[in-house]
Amino acid sequence: MSAERDASLPNPTKWLMIGAVGLIIAFVGMFVDSRLASFCYLIGMLFTTSITIGMLFLVMIHHIFDAYWSTIIRRQAENFLAALPWMAVLFIPLFAITYFSGDQGTVWIWMNEDALVHGHKVADDVLYQKKTWWLNEFGPFGFWARTIISFGAWIYFARTFRRNSFSQDGDGKADHTYSSRKHAAGGLVVVALTWSMAGFDWIMSLEYHWFSTMFGVWFFANSMRAALAVLVLVAAFLVAKGPLKGVFNTKHLHDLSTLCFAFTVFWAYISFSQYFLIWNGNIPEETFWYNFREEGMWWGVSMFLVFGHFLFPFLFMLQYPLKTKFPSMVFMACWILFMQLFDIIFNVLPSLKEHHHPVDFIHQPMAILWLVASIVGGIGVLLWAYWTSYYKVKIIPIRDPRIGECLGHNH
Amino acid sequence: MADKFGILAKFDTPADIMHAAEKVRDAGYKSWDVITPFPIHGMDAAMGLKRSWVPRFTIVGGTTGFITGMSMIFFTNAFDYKILIGGKPLFSPMFAFPVSYELTILFSAFASIAGMFILNKLPMHYHPALKVDNVAEMSDDKFFLYIETEDPQFDEDKTRSFIEGLHPVEVTDMEK
Repeated sequence: MSAERDASLPNPTKWLMIGAVGLIIAFVGMFVDSRLASFCYLIGMLFTTSITIGMLFLVMIHHIFDAYWSTIIRRQAENFLAALPWMAVLFIPLFAITYFSGDQGTVWIWMNEDALVHGHKVADDVLYQKKTWWLNEFGPFGFWARTIISFGAWIYFARTFRRNSFSQDGDGKADHTYSSRKHAAGGLVVVALTWSMAGFDWIMSLEYHWFSTMFGVWFFANSMRAALAVLVLVAAFLVAKGPLKGVFNTKHLHDLSTLCFAFTVFWAYISFSQYFLIWNGNIPEETFWYNFREEGMWWGVSMFLVFGHFLFPFLFMLQYPLKTKFPSMVFMACWILFMQLFDIIFNVLPSLKEHHHPVDFIHQPMAILWLVASIVGGIGVLLWAYWTSYYKVKIIPIRDPRIGECLGHNH
Repeated sequence: MADKFGILAKFDTPADIMHAAEKVRDAGYKSWDVITPFPIHGMDAAMGLKRSWVPRFTIVGGTTGFITGMSMIFFTNAFDYKILIGGKPLFSPMFAFPVSYELTILFSAFASIAGMFILNKLPMHYHPALKVDNVAEMSDDKFFLYIETEDPQFDEDKTRSFIEGLHPVEVTDMEK
């Protein structure tokens, strides 16, 4: 028996249509202004991928700790994992734009050896020459190989956790739990490494002179915040619409909110440390990255991140009454998702240069359209995959060994 | 008995004491407490306890710590003995931040502990429960509830019959 399609719950096909419209506009953008539109597309793609990878981390953390309170919401995270193969498909246009637009450096400028960076050709740039062991396109462990390996690993783990969890609904065997736990142990290491690699490749190499060893951790913190915010929204929606009403209680919400809070602090810690070390070291090959992000409108964006992505959520979620109520947490989850998007924009877009300066985004009205279209496209695909999976399986893992404890969760 | 502290009831299981606590709460008693060998989840609600005031101590401690850190770095580096290091400004919240946030955590922890002590009226060297013969059971496998004579609703006969109505296994008087 699967969850009944209730008329009050969303229709997956509708989300696919919305996503398709967004993606089509985004693809049109790639023909109009290929560089700007591909950067916007990259942002939309990173935003949705980071949500699904955050879900993958949450499922693995649940299994490795043999946790019980999160059993009730784990199934929704597993539903989101259904989107991972589609995230890989969403990456293909970025490959296409690199090799079929006439300029291989459209997105990742180092892929075009003739592109000019700080007045030098990439091929003559000693910093590039020293980094070619990592920054190469088709080497056996080059950029595209790494991308394929990463997506392969994520899809493998996503499928394993989904299969274990769904088969357990049928036969109730504890073996599935043990299998998931073992996969979580290996998966945490593999996904942590591959997700860091993705951060280095997809975002950091946009500006390949720059480097930060903390970047992978920042990417992890970012994805966890996004995934937790989405889980809060999903839980609130399913409680309001009925399926989880009376099952998902405020204690579960409190635990979820507390994790949101913890990762708010973690994100601040990582982001501050990265800035602080670069500020303190004061080496030009590191500081230029932040200097660009203090120019023009980006100064406002960085200040907005400090106060909007850290201080406000921190003070908000410091308060117990706000953490245990659905309306306040729904607001906070929306806020965090919005700010998380800003964070990705902040990390990606200023790497797009015009006359050696970051593109002034605000004065490019079309850019907003490409950005919104890319995000709507990604979200549409994500929610289509989620709701399709949702209707195929039960709302909670009913035969999980920990589900009894979880439902009685009262402290 | 002039120096009577209250009436003590003994229960066998956590469920019994939980239900008893709910009834005492609903009867409107104020000066009463429950003694159990281990924490019972849900007892806060059964006793009608409000949320603890400790977080208020914590926020005051944390804010104090943060301000202390910032002003200490400002005072030492930019005011009392100016030192220019590596061409950095004399004062910047950047390098004052690690110190400030460490002090935020330290002062929050101190304030929480202090708040917990104050609210629990600790250290408390004597409590009438220590005089009860079966005090050892309180930290072993029995569950106790007492209502103090200080309670505005306390009435020797009525309270005793009320407590007996909770079906305890034993009812005794507590001396001051």
